[in-house]
Amino acid sequence: MRLAFVGKGGAGKSAISGTFARYLARQGHNVLAIDSDPLPGLAFSLGLPIEYSPPIPDDAVVERKEGEEGPRWRLNPDVDPLEAVEKWSVEAPDGVRFLQFGKIKGDPRNLWKSQIAFRFVVNRLPPGNWNVVGDLPGGTRQAFTGWGNWAQTVLIVVEPTAKSLLSGRRLARMADLDPESPKRVLAVANKVSEAGDVDMIATGTGLEVVAAIPLDDALAEAERRQLAPIDFAPDCPAVLAVESLVERLSEERVS
Amino acid sequence: MKLAVVGKGGSGKTTTSSVIARTLAKGGLAVVALDCDSNPNLGISLGVGDEETERLVSMRQALDEGEEAHAPTWDTLISRYGSDGPDGVRLAVVSRIDNPEPG
Repeated sequence: MRLAFVGKGGAGKSAISGTFARYLARQGHNVLAIDSDPLPGLAFSLGLPIEYSPPIPDDAVVERKEGEEGPRWRLNPDVDPLEAVEKWSVEAPDGVRFLQFGKIKGDPRNLWKSQIAFRFVVNRLPPGNWNVVGDLPGGTRQAFTGWGNWAQTVLIVVEPTAKSLLSGRRLARMADLDPESPKRVLAVANKVSEAGDVDMIATGTGLEVVAAIPLDDALAEAERRQLAPIDFAPDCPAVLAVESLVERLSEERVS
Repeated sequence: MKLAVVGKGGSGKTTTSSVIARTLAKGGLAVVALDCDSNPNLGISLGVGDEETERLVSMRQALDEGEEAHAPTWDTLISRYGSDGPDGVRLAVVSRIDNPEPG
């Protein structure tokens, strides 16, 4: 499966995608977890002690030669996407491989080559080798603007709040307009605490709600301690709900 | 004063800015609340409601679509594309992403 988590900032994308990736790997799948947020995100939720794994090096992209057509920057022809993943991802617990693009550390002007290379590598991964679980940045900037093209299923994480619903609705609309691929788009209700929350999210986004993850203090505590939810509170209701989501999507063979 | 509120997603930027804007306006200052998020939802926290938040045309869209023949002044932009919120706060949206772009 190739799955991207999107949604408003703070909706819970990292906590859910990190837990999702870890549990999917425990079921015996090859999992590549990817993070295309320039701010810290997925690493902690996966249980990686490091915040900054080395970014993809700048020479992974090359400039168009004079007289050639097409975009100015392209993936270095010597870089094979599968080899790139082997080389530039780091290992997370449960055998998850973790690949991230350049983070804002030092001068952010130096990051863009690494970020473009990341995008090429991920978009060109051949099918079949990896189950890809992606944590995209909050908001609408990346999800349907070339950074989520690799995904076959997009999960929009929505909280039962007006701002989160509005963001979910916008993302659903953009998915609908996306000419790139007939992606499957589903909602994940997060921080659910009242009976009407799931209905509110289904109605507010117009999407099928594929999972309802309860509001759970254990997740907040895991974040405070910089620990992966699945390590800190493996039996808490929110982690169990994410695990059910993994099982449901694996059974459906959502590709 | 010109004040920008920044931070990680979900940390409370929108809520904080809306309370600052409303409080300053209540104190008698003329306040423009500028939503610079490409996924703008400051209107909801300011209290203009989600329909009005969605209806607001971003200033960038207005300029891109050629509704303005000449480069307008700040005051023109704010008065033409803004919306009045509670306590007299004037809300304007800088830019909004509405359409997917092929990669």
